[in-house]
Amino acid sequence: MPSVPITDLALLIPELILVGMALVLLLVSSRIRKATHATTATVLAAVAASLAAGWLIPEPPKLGFFGMITVDGYSQFFKVLIASALALTTLLSVKRVNTEHVRPAEYHALLLLASAGMMFAVSSLDLMTLYLGLELTTLCSYVLVGITVDKPESNEAAIKYFLLGSFASALFLYGIALIYGATGATDFETIAQVLSESSLESNWLFVVGGSLLAAGLAFKISAVPFHAWAPDAYEGAHAPVAAFLATASKVAGLAALGRVCLVVFSSEAQIVSMVLGGLAALSIVVGSIIALAQTNIKRLLAYSSIAHAGYALLGFVSGTDAGAEATMTYAYLYVFMTLGAFGVVIALEDRGETLDGYQGLAVKRPITAALMLLFLLSLTGIPPTAGFVAKFVVILSVVREGYYALAILAVLCSVITAFVYLRLVVLMYMKEPADAASADPDEAPSSRLPLAVSVALAVAALVTLIGGVFPGILTSGVVAP
Amino acid sequence: MSEYIGVVACFIIAGVVAGGMVVLASVLGKKTPSLAKSEPFECGEIPFSLPGGKLAIKFYLTAILFILFDVEVVFLYPWAVIYREIGMVGLVEMGIFLGILLVGYVYAWSNKALDW
Repeated sequence: MPSVPITDLALLIPELILVGMALVLLLVSSRIRKATHATTATVLAAVAASLAAGWLIPEPPKLGFFGMITVDGYSQFFKVLIASALALTTLLSVKRVNTEHVRPAEYHALLLLASAGMMFAVSSLDLMTLYLGLELTTLCSYVLVGITVDKPESNEAAIKYFLLGSFASALFLYGIALIYGATGATDFETIAQVLSESSLESNWLFVVGGSLLAAGLAFKISAVPFHAWAPDAYEGAHAPVAAFLATASKVAGLAALGRVCLVVFSSEAQIVSMVLGGLAALSIVVGSIIALAQTNIKRLLAYSSIAHAGYALLGFVSGTDAGAEATMTYAYLYVFMTLGAFGVVIALEDRGETLDGYQGLAVKRPITAALMLLFLLSLTGIPPTAGFVAKFVVILSVVREGYYALAILAVLCSVITAFVYLRLVVLMYMKEPADAASADPDEAPSSRLPLAVSVALAVAALVTLIGGVFPGILTSGVVAP
Repeated sequence: MSEYIGVVACFIIAGVVAGGMVVLASVLGKKTPSLAKSEPFECGEIPFSLPGGKLAIKFYLTAILFILFDVEVVFLYPWAVIYREIGMVGLVEMGIFLGILLVGYVYAWSNKALDW
């Protein structure tokens, strides 16, 4: 019996760093009372993992663990992105963890383990490892959503997310089983080979399995019609956790979906484009329109993230390498602008949760309002912010392949989302502060942001600006699978 | 695939027959609701409390820890069976696995999950 060479572990260095730090945090959990130490440790681990992932990208890609894991430009790009999202989320949550009585060691260990699962998922070349990675991520996410145990709404959100999430996991697993039944393999290469030799139409077992697989992955990126969990989970969750779910988790799902579509189903590009195009169109339309009716800012951002998942899918719709690279660019820029917007919500604490809280913000906290303006413009897709570049590349990729209707739909819905985001801008800049009483000095101490939150917001703002002005610099690492 | 058609037909017939009986009974059946019928138990005493009563949450904690460690240790058996074939790599990997398991144990211990 052949055995795995121990040197294969070297392929997993970023994951090992994160898991190692999580274990250390758990070992000393009873000694950590304040979040600061755990935050520092987590950020260090995230930076180390990001460097380890980005430092050396093997050319040609390396395989390990009997071809179940690959290390290539595609996986490393997403690993760096996931690690950055982890670092920023951790920085953003530093104050909330203390004020909301979250146990710091457990919270950070769960974030680290969830990120390790995502990294594992973006590296996998086998349905089983993909499932394991995604499952590690979602299991940690369920607990993270409910981590503020003394809040009933948080518990409710966690239960809802758990029920729907385990259902989606079951669908995904059932899809794997059916594909195994149809092809006798779980690794991408063999499945793709079997698929290219026989036509999809004659193999119903495979069609059903593939659809279930797609449904499971669409759930992870909260694409319509598998989006119902997102608004509830984001609303109930502790805001930094919502930010983490909206960015890292979604990006990992996108990466996995991209690899499955472009590698496994490469011989059936037509059908993949049709399915993904449908998901993208539905997500963009439903996400944009329902966002109009939201008054809770986390629900609004949840619907916005659903619409953005649709935009990101556009790149995969085109089915070309250029399209995949467009999606990667989109994912990259999306992570930073969304983390920025969530960061402002976190920085504003309780008043940041509803739309009314933003009334007259520009008068009282001009810098915070200006940052929010930047992130909102970027989410809308207005130059010179990163959001414009992101939308431009994905829409260009579908136009190049001749999907004009989809491109027109995307642009139209972009106008609708402009209304959603600019409504917030109007509230901040063109309305008087709602309550005259809040101008009293009590407001003053809380208007200074903690250092960690400021750093995270500054990084997000910088990427959003640089990504908009010099898009080439930040997204030079995109490589299609 | 064709050999499964019999199974599918069996499922469909079973579903139609069972569903039909329930539907017919509820549509055609005569209904005479009475107080006695709406009691939780139609015979014997009227219950005054649910069985079971309160149970210390510590039992739950102990049980879940037992299941966790018990299930994980089961992995040692297949490893022991093929130990000679996988050799050093297997030993290192089992070391990593047990190390992670041990962290869980220390975590449970230091958070007083093992105190009664």
